[in-house]
Amino acid sequence: MTWLSKSTTAFGLILLAHACYSAHEHSALQSHRVASLTSLGTSQSGTATSLPIDITIETIIATFIICLGLVSGTSRLRPIQWRVWAGQIEREGEAGFLNSSGEVEKDYVGNPFRLLESRPGFVDIRKQRKEFAEWVKNQ
Amino acid sequence: MPTERDFQISPIVPESVMHNTKALSNLQNLTASIFGAAAGILGLESYSGFLFYFVFTVLTTVLFYAIRVAPTSLKSGHGLLDTSRFFRTQYEFWFGGVFGGLAGYILTWTLFYGLVRA
Repeated sequence: MTWLSKSTTAFGLILLAHACYSAHEHSALQSHRVASLTSLGTSQSGTATSLPIDITIETIIATFIICLGLVSGTSRLRPIQWRVWAGQIEREGEAGFLNSSGEVEKDYVGNPFRLLESRPGFVDIRKQRKEFAEWVKNQ
Repeated sequence: MPTERDFQISPIVPESVMHNTKALSNLQNLTASIFGAAAGILGLESYSGFLFYFVFTVLTTVLFYAIRVAPTSLKSGHGLLDTSRFFRTQYEFWFGGVFGGLAGYILTWTLFYGLVRA
């Protein structure tokens, strides 16, 4: 997923750079033409200094493509309400907090009730003793 | 507007709020510079340049909503254009980035305008 967004952004940046170069060349050509015409002494008026339509279209499309690439490259949002967020962790675990390259995000904290669940007061000690006794019997 | 009692009943995770806000503002700042470059190449001046910025910022926000917010938000029963699953206020989502990125936009706009028109 990450390569898709990155290549989209890169493609858009190339288009934008090309449009920038084209616009620069166009303006350089215009100023050169105006200078040469005035040196010839001809009264020349109405030089079209507006950008050609193809450069305009290329710029706008490039901007849109970059925009699309950057938006698809953002990280996944997290629910802000505690019950929704904790519920998502409980249901999906680490799978709900992967970043775009498929790794668990660095600031993933895990179950927020972990401390409560491992508290000694809540450990079923009789059950553990029974399991241990069965395990000893089977040895 | 939720009161303090509402927050006691349904608390909010500050880390998630920060994470979401950071994701959005990073995107807004980055795209604002790109829009500035585009506006400079197009040679926009005065009001049309600001109009260009507002149009594209709104477009970015709508794209962000469609790609990141809508799929999970609509599934969990929120209405269309309701961002309350991920952001505290609607205003913060829809208009928060418009003024945050404006400075970067003007910077690159003037830079590229000067570069292209030699």
